[in-house]
Amino acid sequence: MTDAILDYIPIAVMLILALVIPFVIMFIVKQITPRNPARFKNTTYEGGKDPIGEAQVRFNISYYLLAIVFVLFDVEVLFLYPWAVCYKSSVVLEAIPGFTMVAVVAMTIFLIIALVIGDIYAWKKGAFTWTR
Amino acid sequence: MLEEQMDILLGILYTILGNENWWGPWIRGVLGLCAMGGMMVAAMFAVWLERKYASDIQSRIGPNRVGGRFGLLQLIADAIKLFTKEDIKPDKVDGPVWAAAPVLMFGSALMMIIAIPFGAFIFNGTTYPLAVTQFDISILYLEAVSAIGIIGIFMAGWGSNNKFAVIAAFRNIARMIGYEVALGMTIISVVIVTGSLNIVDIVNAQGSVVWFAFVMPLGFVVFGVALIADMGRVPFDQNEAEEELIAGWGTEYSGMRFGLAYFAEYIHMVLGSCIAVLIFLGGWNIPGFIVDLNIPLLGLLPVAVFLAKWVLVMMFVIMIRWALPRIRIDQVTSIGWKVLLPLAMVNLVWAVMLGLVWPW
Repeated sequence: MTDAILDYIPIAVMLILALVIPFVIMFIVKQITPRNPARFKNTTYEGGKDPIGEAQVRFNISYYLLAIVFVLFDVEVLFLYPWAVCYKSSVVLEAIPGFTMVAVVAMTIFLIIALVIGDIYAWKKGAFTWTR
Repeated sequence: MLEEQMDILLGILYTILGNENWWGPWIRGVLGLCAMGGMMVAAMFAVWLERKYASDIQSRIGPNRVGGRFGLLQLIADAIKLFTKEDIKPDKVDGPVWAAAPVLMFGSALMMIIAIPFGAFIFNGTTYPLAVTQFDISILYLEAVSAIGIIGIFMAGWGSNNKFAVIAAFRNIARMIGYEVALGMTIISVVIVTGSLNIVDIVNAQGSVVWFAFVMPLGFVVFGVALIADMGRVPFDQNEAEEELIAGWGTEYSGMRFGLAYFAEYIHMVLGSCIAVLIFLGGWNIPGFIVDLNIPLLGLLPVAVFLAKWVLVMMFVIMIRWALPRIRIDQVTSIGWKVLLPLAMVNLVWAVMLGLVWPW
């Protein structure tokens, strides 16, 4: 195993712990807490009246638009991560001299097309406005 | 004499924790438990600080009964209370989703702890970061893991099958995704300047030149606002606006389930301030001339500097909570998308120009 893999082992250990610990806490809590279910105690909290209908309603379309725009922009930001690491890294520059300027120009074009124009388009279409 | 003892201690630590033996990394993983315990204490401290500071701002006394004049043990009492309260499960909740939500939120907070260096110490002129593990993509990892908490909050609201909680969950998603992009873009601007996704590298880069808060003031402001929004603090806490939504997504939770979620929120706040200190405020770096002074206990100075900055940032975040009114949800989305996102783009351009000449 390489060193890079070794650095990720603590994360695997912590992942297991993070999955187990809340359950352990809840198990302990289950042993020591009282348990007196009652009809009115177990109703949904809603100002004293019986709730009408289900709460799990359909989304307002505004939320849906925001979510779509979010996915678009977040993927764009994700593209920036590998780019940011390698655009001036010495390892890459040894293999491809003059890579930095090419990378910057390419990323600028991508960002103008996808991010700036995308933002203006979503803005003009009213995706960020709640009432229209 | 002291130096020799430190040498021996460090040698032992290195054999146990280094990558020399196959079990080293595993032990470090379990050491994450220590970091977790420390984080619990820090989160409790944050709750105490918040209550004390809030009462100060509002000209009240605040907790002053349990644990001396300053109510230092109040949070222990609260924890015991949460532990022994009945865990009420309302009839109409969506069982598995409702029960899994606090676990997810708490788990995501725990996963964040492991990648964060909590300061550093100097030994024999070398600086060792106090991190459970250091790896190449720690910033990306932190962002990814903290985003799991958003899913947890949405599950809590949706699974509760309570109208208040569902509205809170909707608002929460709208707020979080609005600011996640700006947050990601300011973090990436730091990465662009440094050329590394490793937090330790980012902190060291600030040591050699100057804090990123000074070279990218716009980015720092955008990051700060987006971070406060991401932590769900006032003025961006529409998801648990008490006056209109009872307790937001947490309305149907009681006892320790509520405790887990509440604690996860505070750990997020504590770790958020920690990340702000690390990537924008210079982390544990101290000016070079102090190192040459050779004062006693110099080795622990970086940790002290880091903790001081951390507490200051936390106090600032708390102060904002009690100084500003809450804004409406439509204002929140328009600030996120129409102000912070364009500003973050401007900052991105600045970061690329800076990155080409960095370091000077």
